[in-house]
Amino acid sequence: MPKRLLAFSDQTAIAGVGYTPFAKNSGVSTLTLACRAVLAALDDAGLSVDEVDGLATHRVGDSAAPTLVGPALGLMDLSWHLDQFGGGSVSHAVVGQAALAVATGMAETVVCYRAINARSEFRMGGTGRGVPVSPEVQYQAPYGYVAPPQQYAMYARAHMLKYGTKAEHFGLLAVTQRANAAKNPRALMRTPITLDDYLAGRWIAEPFRLLDCCLETDGACAVVVTTAERARALRRPPVLISAAAWGGGTTHLSGAGADPTVTAAAALAPRLYAQAGIGPGDVDVAELYDCFTYSVIVQLEDYGFCAKGEGGPYVASGATAAGGPLPVNTHGGFLSEGYVHGMNHIAEAVSQLRGDAGERQVPGAEVALSTAQPGYILPATSALILRRA
Amino acid sequence: MAGYRPERDRDSREWWERIGRGEFAVQVCDACGTARFPARAFCARCRTEGAHWREVAPEGVVESWIVNHQPFVPGLRAPYVVVMVRLAEVPGCFVYGNWRGLRPPEHGERVTASYTRVDADLTLVDWRPGP
Repeated sequence: MPKRLLAFSDQTAIAGVGYTPFAKNSGVSTLTLACRAVLAALDDAGLSVDEVDGLATHRVGDSAAPTLVGPALGLMDLSWHLDQFGGGSVSHAVVGQAALAVATGMAETVVCYRAINARSEFRMGGTGRGVPVSPEVQYQAPYGYVAPPQQYAMYARAHMLKYGTKAEHFGLLAVTQRANAAKNPRALMRTPITLDDYLAGRWIAEPFRLLDCCLETDGACAVVVTTAERARALRRPPVLISAAAWGGGTTHLSGAGADPTVTAAAALAPRLYAQAGIGPGDVDVAELYDCFTYSVIVQLEDYGFCAKGEGGPYVASGATAAGGPLPVNTHGGFLSEGYVHGMNHIAEAVSQLRGDAGERQVPGAEVALSTAQPGYILPATSALILRRA
Repeated sequence: MAGYRPERDRDSREWWERIGRGEFAVQVCDACGTARFPARAFCARCRTEGAHWREVAPEGVVESWIVNHQPFVPGLRAPYVVVMVRLAEVPGCFVYGNWRGLRPPEHGERVTASYTRVDADLTLVDWRPGP
């Protein structure tokens, strides 16, 4: 049975968040973006750069490592750093690992960041770079099967075939998140859309249309992890890290017995909830990894908010909209705010729990779930439960 | 087709060589008999090394498919269909290929490998309807 981890749960906190503006072309290096976001997060927390003793990031060879960012900010002797290979699967694992480092005393103040020029320099699986190096690519790329929208579209269709999930379900999710983005000054796409707009979108890889896909974005986002005790003495209301969990996933080819409509989140979720001592019914707001519309629908099922196969109708019911029982991606998500590879979902959860999310604030939000890519493509996933102190 | 040529590695070379001869074979664990794909050194079930190759029926059923409306890899012409096939004789394993049917695939339909010889060094596995 999964259990509470008393040495970990609520021992650390997120004390600050920082962003650069999101853009199609930042005009600067990822090193510059990383430094700006780190400084912004420290300023939000009310900490000086010299108080930082740890840095962590995730990347796929496309961005500045902590060993570059540290010296660039005059931090020549970090106690702890992490350069995690991986994409959206590991975004939340980075913050989880920073929390482990802080909980054990290996470091006291860790800034986790993701800096990315995902539109102007280095498009994921798209033009502008070679095919990613993984032994399984050789069985897919010769057939023109290589980019994340294709891979997610394949799984989305499997879900449609098995459970009757409809294009309209994906569309209503995109519409809902755009309505949230309309209330978010940071968001790249703030003009409301309708279901007809969604359905009129051009095909990318059927069953995905344009608005099923996230925004390739230039930008950076950072969060400051420190001890809960220290966070209480800082400028902002602390947000406790109640649970952090890591999970597996399926590869494209070799997931023995794999059901492509179930993600690794289904196995991770019980561990995650047990750590925090809560269940899905206790979650007030969820910031779920939305590289594509389908990603949210399958996670709503696998994190236990609705029955398997019911993710589409759950979204269509309005449950995930502002004012519903489970507001999801209140910032607009990758689909409408911008794509900073998971870090902006964590930062939005922090804003919601601090109560400073402005027009898009979920009233009285006390517990947030935030998740990484649920384990398709790269066989890994991760998630956090955050709680108002 | 084949805007991208597969980078064979030390685990996969033999699989590609056999495909080049029109032979659809997978590794079978010497110790426990579990079939696996793609090729690699260890059996994930009994965690031992040692395997032999066994020719299996180049057949499966359609699990899913996508219709690509842009050439995601240079050299391909859109639209093209990629199909995800659940192999009949290798439980839990999927393969991908281009669709060689004159109509769209159907969920759960039986399909058979169709070899596409690109040149002397490369043959790809596509899929067509029917046993």
